Amino acid sequence: MSSKIRRCAPATLSLFANTSARTPRACIVSQWLRSRGLTTVESTPSQTVPLRKHLKDEAKRKKAEAKGSNINIKAKTNPHSDEWELTVGVEIHAELNTACKLFSAAPATAADINGLPNTRVALFDAAMPGTQPQFQRATLLPALRAAIALGCDVQRKSGWDRKHYSHWDQPNGYQITQYYEPFAKNGNIVLRAEDGVQKTDLSGAQSISIGIKQIQMEQDTAKTTHHAPSSYHVDLNRAGHPLIEIITLPQIHSPQTAAAVVRKIQTLLKSVDACATGMELGGLRADVNVSVRQRGSSGNYSYGGVSGLGQRTEIKNLSSFAAIENAIMAERDRQIGVLEAGGVIEGETRGWTLGASETTRLRGKEGEVDYRYMPDADLPPLVIGCDLVDHLRTTLPELPDATILRVQQDYGLSAKDAKTIAALDDGERLEFMEETVELVLDKADDDQVDKTKVGKLVGNWVLHELGGLLATSNIAWADVTVSETELADIIANLQLKQITSRTAKHLLATLHELPPNEGRPSVEQLIDNGNLRLRPLSEEGYSALAGAIIAENPEMAKAVKEKGHKGKVMWFVGQMVRRGDEGTVEPEKAREVVERLLGS
Amino acid sequence: MHHLVRCTGLRAAGSLNASRRSAEFSTASIARSQKESILDIEKLLSRPTWSVSSLLPPKDSASDAPEVTSKQLHHLLRLSALPPPKDQQEEAKMLSTLSSQLHFVKEIQKVDTAGIEPLRSLRDETMQGEKEAELGMEAMKDALAQEEVRGKHHKRIRRRRDHTAAKQEEDWDVLGTAQRKVGRYFVVEGGKDK
Repeated sequence: MSSKIRRCAPATLSLFANTSARTPRACIVSQWLRSRGLTTVESTPSQTVPLRKHLKDEAKRKKAEAKGSNINIKAKTNPHSDEWELTVGVEIHAELNTACKLFSAAPATAADINGLPNTRVALFDAAMPGTQPQFQRATLLPALRAAIALGCDVQRKSGWDRKHYSHWDQPNGYQITQYYEPFAKNGNIVLRAEDGVQKTDLSGAQSISIGIKQIQMEQDTAKTTHHAPSSYHVDLNRAGHPLIEIITLPQIHSPQTAAAVVRKIQTLLKSVDACATGMELGGLRADVNVSVRQRGSSGNYSYGGVSGLGQRTEIKNLSSFAAIENAIMAERDRQIGVLEAGGVIEGETRGWTLGASETTRLRGKEGEVDYRYMPDADLPPLVIGCDLVDHLRTTLPELPDATILRVQQDYGLSAKDAKTIAALDDGERLEFMEETVELVLDKADDDQVDKTKVGKLVGNWVLHELGGLLATSNIAWADVTVSETELADIIANLQLKQITSRTAKHLLATLHELPPNEGRPSVEQLIDNGNLRLRPLSEEGYSALAGAIIAENPEMAKAVKEKGHKGKVMWFVGQMVRRGDEGTVEPEKAREVVERLLGS
Repeated sequence: MHHLVRCTGLRAAGSLNASRRSAEFSTASIARSQKESILDIEKLLSRPTWSVSSLLPPKDSASDAPEVTSKQLHHLLRLSALPPPKDQQEEAKMLSTLSSQLHFVKEIQKVDTAGIEPLRSLRDETMQGEKEAELGMEAMKDALAQEEVRGKHHKRIRRRRDHTAAKQEEDWDVLGTAQRKVGRYFVVEGGKDK
């Protein structure tokens, strides 16, 4: 019935200029209008459809269409992979975590997102005549840490160059960057399957290493917002903010790996405090260079020492991981399409918008910008002392891979849990967990306690129990009132079988709701006051309770006894726990008794 | 410039090797040259021995610099964000000026600069100068003091977020020179004129 409505002739659809893909609806009203000759619709099916049903069907149809096109883009299996090889190089621009800008003492914007526009602007940032750049040396620390974390060789001497182009987001008419002599070269980043690398890229190895050609420091541009029809509002707060540009070698061969590389670099930079804002907040952007070649053949182009590549195109300003993957897939397919049809790829700059199915051309070879790079005469060369580099290397914080490994080994957490907890709340969650484990181990008199067992238990509680409470009460980690000591007390009591698991969760929830420092009772007090201490039921007590419940539910008992529905045993256990006094019935013991009584 | 140094005044110093840097000019060589001949300074300085016009194309004959086409001129003007010429006359004038400038540049390019690093600016390039400019532990002392180590088990280095940020940069009227503004924003017209 409704399918007839969808398959309307295209001619009728075009009459609805502003209703996109909506189809005309046959209903009582429209039929009436038609009978009076008052519509422009040619022919509609005779059936009438209630409005609500029609709207629902339309929504479903649109969703199915959208899904269909998405599947094409997100095709996990690359249909061309046998014949064509994709090569990708990534250029990441990351905002450094600094107090002030790169060449002026104006405060950096990263600190406050809600600041007024055009307030954090020095005279140099606004290109006032006569002003000169002044290198702010504190910006070197995060940049150096990023270089060291990525395994680069830090150059003792590097230079500052001007990259000229006219744009309203560049008041000086040029960007100060490090074109000829970047401050760091020849690094690498190692990725494993858990980081999201495409399996085919690993080709049997445990990990792959993507080379980093160089890292350079440069200025960020001002922020512009478009106001229709053609005016732009410019905010110079961001102009001159320090960026590092990280250029990888073209050694990436799939879109998933490219996104994984960017994700891993972002995590790495956050862990050494080099960059505090990620892609989600606009603090990290990526440009990708994409080329294809027939498998086994060798192209005429090379970059950074990697040769035999095809002609590449550059896709600029990708601002999310999904965008990176989708844009590379779309560009790969476009290039393969052009080459298979006998065409030639031009070295262009292309753009990608969210939800698009193909990249759009921004600049061709004719429109190629001549940046007229030249050394900036106002700035002396940057000379970095090796004592500083050595100091930063030895005091570098633990890198994410090492943290995850350590948490797995020392605390027995699974790889997934370790990765999750290390990434939460800027490392505070993990710190909380580690402190709690230490406190629990202290309380345990027995030195033979297995640290990994305690670790696993505490990890679960911090991640899932506390995490769950956080989620339901919708507060941030910083506002959590439960202290490590309190959690350690709860878990210690649990381990010593002083309380049941259910009681423990209940205690946690209670403590979570209490405001901080206002005469917070200790865990021991709570247990005593609530009479929650496990008073283990005697054997007869268990049997009596179990027996009573079994007698009240003969059908259930029959199901277990005769039909062998083992699952229902737990139902009995639940009933026992509920029936018994708080803190008296232990589920494991209860289960044993029920199973025994029901003869299974 | 090597060529110029050789041409100007130092030739009068006689035995002085032109490629030696002026910093190494010693009193000994002055004494030597004074013995050779009594210089008539007035006479020497009365007639210039060299003029920059030697680097410009001679007025009568055409220069041997390459032709600049009108298309190239317009491209260069656009790159430099300069206005295009109003009429044919102005364009012809621009082209001829550009042509003599190119001739000048070609003359300069005839200088042999093999093995000489381009000068970027006049700086202290001595060992001492480089040492003073080096950013090592001492120079970065204050910046390092702005960081702290957080955590006992999972140690992380974090920059201290001081909200008493530097105020001196914010005490001028940023929008004061704006031709157009809306609220606290500069406004730029992005539409094409034609």
